[in-house]
Amino acid sequence: MKTLLLTALSAAVLFISGQAIGTEKSAREIVEQAELNAYYSGDDGRSAARMIITDSQGREQMRQFTILRKDQEDGGVQDMMVFFSRPADVRDTVFRVVKQVNDDDDRWLYLPDLDLVKRISAGDKRTSFVGSHFFYEDVSGRNTELDSYELVSENKDSYVLKGTAKDPGNVEFSYYEVVIDKEHMLPVESTFYNDSGEAYRKMEVLKIETVQGYPTVTHSRISDLTNGGQTEMQFRFMTYNIGLPDSIFSERSLRNPPAEWLQLRD
Amino acid sequence: MPYRKILTFTVLFTLAQAASAQDSWGDDEWESDWGTEQDQGIDVYGYVEAAIGGRLEPSPYHKRLSIAEPRLQLGFDERWQDITWTAKADGWYDGFDETWHGQIRELNAQFTVFDNTDIKVGRQVLTWGTGDYLFLNDLFPKDWQSFFVGRDQEYLKAPSDALRVTSYFDWFNVDFVWTPEFDHDNYVRGERISYFNPLTGQLTGNDPSIQFIEPTRDELAMRLFRNYDGVEYAVYGYDGFTKSPEAVTENFQPTFGRLTVVGASVRMTFGPGLVNTEVANYNRHDAADHWRALVGYEQELWTRFTGGFQAYIEKGDTQTRTVFTTRLTWRDERDDLNLSLFAFVSPNQNDGYLRPTFDYRIDDNWSFSGGFNLFFRERPNTFFGQFTENNNAYLRVRYAF
Repeated sequence: MKTLLLTALSAAVLFISGQAIGTEKSAREIVEQAELNAYYSGDDGRSAARMIITDSQGREQMRQFTILRKDQEDGGVQDMMVFFSRPADVRDTVFRVVKQVNDDDDRWLYLPDLDLVKRISAGDKRTSFVGSHFFYEDVSGRNTELDSYELVSENKDSYVLKGTAKDPGNVEFSYYEVVIDKEHMLPVESTFYNDSGEAYRKMEVLKIETVQGYPTVTHSRISDLTNGGQTEMQFRFMTYNIGLPDSIFSERSLRNPPAEWLQLRD
Repeated sequence: MPYRKILTFTVLFTLAQAASAQDSWGDDEWESDWGTEQDQGIDVYGYVEAAIGGRLEPSPYHKRLSIAEPRLQLGFDERWQDITWTAKADGWYDGFDETWHGQIRELNAQFTVFDNTDIKVGRQVLTWGTGDYLFLNDLFPKDWQSFFVGRDQEYLKAPSDALRVTSYFDWFNVDFVWTPEFDHDNYVRGERISYFNPLTGQLTGNDPSIQFIEPTRDELAMRLFRNYDGVEYAVYGYDGFTKSPEAVTENFQPTFGRLTVVGASVRMTFGPGLVNTEVANYNRHDAADHWRALVGYEQELWTRFTGGFQAYIEKGDTQTRTVFTTRLTWRDERDDLNLSLFAFVSPNQNDGYLRPTFDYRIDDNWSFSGGFNLFFRERPNTFFGQFTENNNAYLRVRYAF
C-alpha cells in the first residue's frame, strides 16, 4: 500500500515535472507573445507620438503625429492611421495603412495642399519612417513569421533571442539579438549585426508605463552605431479599447480627420 | 530694382521668423505644447520662398527670365463649434511681370451633418482621379503656367469657389461638387509662356488683341466611389466647359466649349506594385466627341527607387493622341533628398516633356528645390512641342514655419 502510494506520488511528480518542461516557452512563443504586447494591446488604441531626430552632426529635427489603430484580429490584420501635425511641411498630412500579414500592406498618403489621395506601392519596410532612424517596420511591427529565432540565454529578468531572416536577401541585417523583459513580455533592446558580425543599429526601450493594465513602451531610442545619430520617440495620451468604429479607417478620415478621436487629453 | 527685391525678401523672411518664434519647442522639447485642448492657441503656419529661373535659350517672344519671385504663404486652421475653418493665402512679387500679387488659396468651412455627410464650402482645392499628371475625370482647375515655370507642385491645382458634399454609405460613397461660377485652368495664353495659336497658325507670345471669352455658368462634378477589399472603384460625371479655350465664337474669338464627361476608374495592388486604369468620354456638344483612356503601373524597383509607367490615349473620329509617361523617383536613406524624373513622350505627335526635379530638405525649416522643364518637338503645333521656346531651369529656397 505504502509502495503503491509512493509510486503514484513519484509518477505524479514525474508527470508534473514533465508538464513543467512542456510549458517552458519556446523561442517562437516568446517572440509571438512579445509581438502581441508591443503591437496589439487592446482591440484598438490612440496615442500621440513625438520624435526627436539627431543626425551624426548633432542637428535636431522633430516629428509629431497621432496614431489611431484597430486590430481586426490579434496578431493579424490591423488598420492604422497616422495624422501628422509637425513640422510645417508635413502638417495635416495623413498616412493610412492596412497592415496585412501574408501580403503587402495597403498604404495611402493624403497631401492636403493638393487634396490628393496618393496610393503608395508596396516598398521595402526597412527604410526610414518620415526621415527618422525608425523604420516603417519598427512602427508597424515586423512579421515574426519572416524570421527564425533561437533562445541564446535566459536569466530571471529576461530572455535573449537571436533572430535570423528566413530570406536574408530582403533585409540589411545578418542577424539581431533581442532582449525580452520577463515582467512585461516586451522587447526592451534589439541589436542588429552586419555580415562581419559588427553591431550597427540598436533599439532601446527607455521607459515602460502600464496603461489600462497594458504594459506600454512610452520612450524608446534607435541609434545608428556606425555613423552616429539617433532618434528618440515618446508616446503620450495613450488610451486603449476606446471603441473606434471601422468607418474611421477610410478615405473619409484623410480629408476630414475624426476630431473627436484625435482630441488629446489625459 | 534688385535692392527692392532683396528688401522685400528680407521683410517677408523677418515676418516668417517672427511667426515661427511662437512655434518654438522650448527648452524641454519633450514637455512643450502637444496641442492638447488646454494649449491650443491660434496657430499660424506657412513659408517664405524665393524662386529664380530662366529660359535655357533666348526666346523671340519673351525675356530670358522665367520666374523671379519672393513669396509668403500664411495659413491657419481652427476647429470651432464643430466646424473646421481653414484659411490660406499667398502674397508674392512677380519679377516677370514686375507686379505684386495676392491669392487666397483656401477659405472654407468643413462640417458634418447626419453623421454620414461631410460638407466643405468656400474656396478649396479639389482633386480626384487616378492619373499621375494626366487628368481624365479631374476637371477641377489647374494652373499650367505655375507648373511649367517651376513653382511648387502644390500650385498645379488652382482653387475653386465651390460647395462639396460627400456622403458615405455602406455600399458606396457619393461626392458632389457644385461650382457656381465656371473656373477655367490657368492655361497658357502667351503672356508668360509662348504657345501655338491654331487660329493664326503660328507660335504666339503676349498678344493683347486676343480676347478669351469666358462662360458665366456653373459647373457640376460628381463621383461615386468605393474601396472594396483594397480595390478602389469610382464612377465620375462632369458638366461644364473645356478647361482651356478650345472653341471659337462667331467672331473667331477663342472660348470655352460646352463639355460633359462621364468616366470610371479602378486602382488596386497588382503583383508587387499598383495598377490603375481610367476612362472618360468627352462629349463636346458643339464639336466631335472623343475618348480618353489610361493604364498605369507603379512599383518599387529597388529599395527607395520607384518607377511608374502610364500609357494614355485620346481618341476621336479624326484625331488620336497617344502619350507614354514614366516617373522615376529616388530618395536617400535619410529621406531628405528626393530626385525625380517625370517624362511625357507622345510617339504619334513626336513631342514630349521632361521634368527632372530635386528636393532637398536641410532641416525642419529650410529646403531647396530645383529642376528643369524641357519640351521637345518635331512640329511646333503639337501639345508639348508648342512650348519648346519656354524650356527653363529654376531653383527655389524655402523657409517653412
